[in-house]
Amino acid sequence: MIHWNKKILFAGLLALTITVRADDAMDAATKARIDAFEKGPATIDVSKYPQGIQDNYAIFSQKCTQCHKLSRPINSDYALPDEWSRYVKRMMRKPGSGIDSGDGKKIYEFLAYDSSVRKKALLDDKLAKLTPEEKAADEAKIKEVHDKYDGK
Amino acid sequence: MSDENNTCPKPAAEPTAAGGSVPVWIFILTLVLLYFGAVYFDRHSGWFDKQVYTPFQSANELAMYQPKSGAAAMLAHGKAVYESVCGTCHGSDGLGKPDQVPPLAGSEWVAKDIPSLVRVPQVGLNGPIKVAGKDWNLAMAPMGAGLSDDDLASVLTYIRQSWGNRNSSVSADDVKAARTSISGNAPSADDLAKMTPVERGHAVFQKYGCFQCHGQDGKGGVPNFNAKTAEQVPSLIYVADGYTKAELVAFISRGERVIPRMNPNGPEPPHFMPKWGPIISTNELSDIADFLFSLKPKGSDVGF
Repeated sequence: MIHWNKKILFAGLLALTITVRADDAMDAATKARIDAFEKGPATIDVSKYPQGIQDNYAIFSQKCTQCHKLSRPINSDYALPDEWSRYVKRMMRKPGSGIDSGDGKKIYEFLAYDSSVRKKALLDDKLAKLTPEEKAADEAKIKEVHDKYDGK
Repeated sequence: MSDENNTCPKPAAEPTAAGGSVPVWIFILTLVLLYFGAVYFDRHSGWFDKQVYTPFQSANELAMYQPKSGAAAMLAHGKAVYESVCGTCHGSDGLGKPDQVPPLAGSEWVAKDIPSLVRVPQVGLNGPIKVAGKDWNLAMAPMGAGLSDDDLASVLTYIRQSWGNRNSSVSADDVKAARTSISGNAPSADDLAKMTPVERGHAVFQKYGCFQCHGQDGKGGVPNFNAKTAEQVPSLIYVADGYTKAELVAFISRGERVIPRMNPNGPEPPHFMPKWGPIISTNELSDIADFLFSLKPKGSDVGF
């Protein structure tokens, strides 16, 4: 009985907090998400990846740590080529990013490749939720990166 | 009967109460209960006022819930608008932020004539100004451009009569007159209806003064000291690459209050992205996203 009361009390407090803070909920949720990503591993074992992808990993490690921890993209819940393309461009286009479109493309290729291996389950889950056209487009992009780097 | 009488033993003497005293704890408990009773009565009874009954506890509280009229209602409404639109920067106490946002409390700008006063939230305020004997060189976006005459009048009245400011109130008609004299070039509702979403989005971009920080047509180049983005307010011409429409609309709505610093120990960058959600309409958001997407230069695809 006491435990139930406590649960109800906590639920009530939580509901109240959510109501009061609804305004900032988006910010707080995003911040909590990013914090969770950043607490994860800060490196990827790329020794089994093709040499070209390993080279791109080096560029990724160097460029992206100018502004945020590497653990943020490594553990993030982005996996689709479409997502990575958009976020790499968003970062690249910030004034003073020091990322030109050539480096941007290499970073994107690394992330798309890495997600198709290391985040396979998440990627398949996300692909399954897309429309047939979007799914075909993303699958073509994944194939393109693998064709370019695999076995080289 | 007589037998029974005979066998009945002679009754003992009448019982008498023992002469013990009342335990002290009962006495104290009674006093404590009486005390709480009195306090409760004091707080909840309304002192026999026949108009005060549950859930109200006093005549004062009852008065607080009465519908407000006139000046009091206007001030209460003005405070609500202030907290959602102006308070983020100028503070609930009207004191602003050192070196970033000038104070409203004791500001001579607040005491100006009404047309000049309305101009500030309506078209924004750029460049060097003096407030309460201090120099400021900042840019305020037209945060009031999306407010109704009524809302703007209420919030200006609240600002003019709070934190020690003692100025006359501003009416919705005052605001309407001031706005008419300011916005000679703004497109009319008829004009807007004939425009494409991109054209309407451009009008929204002008209306809310986005160009003040992001440059004409979002081309960028406006300095933002110590901002990590090369000490500039970002240009907007490539947002089509980096955002879906939903992501862009969400970003504009929530803004970015804290701008990452180039030098972590340096000062806070003066410009930041205001939270436009409470100010701009849903249709305007959709139009401005279409406008921003249209800015992407031809042939700027980067091949991924």
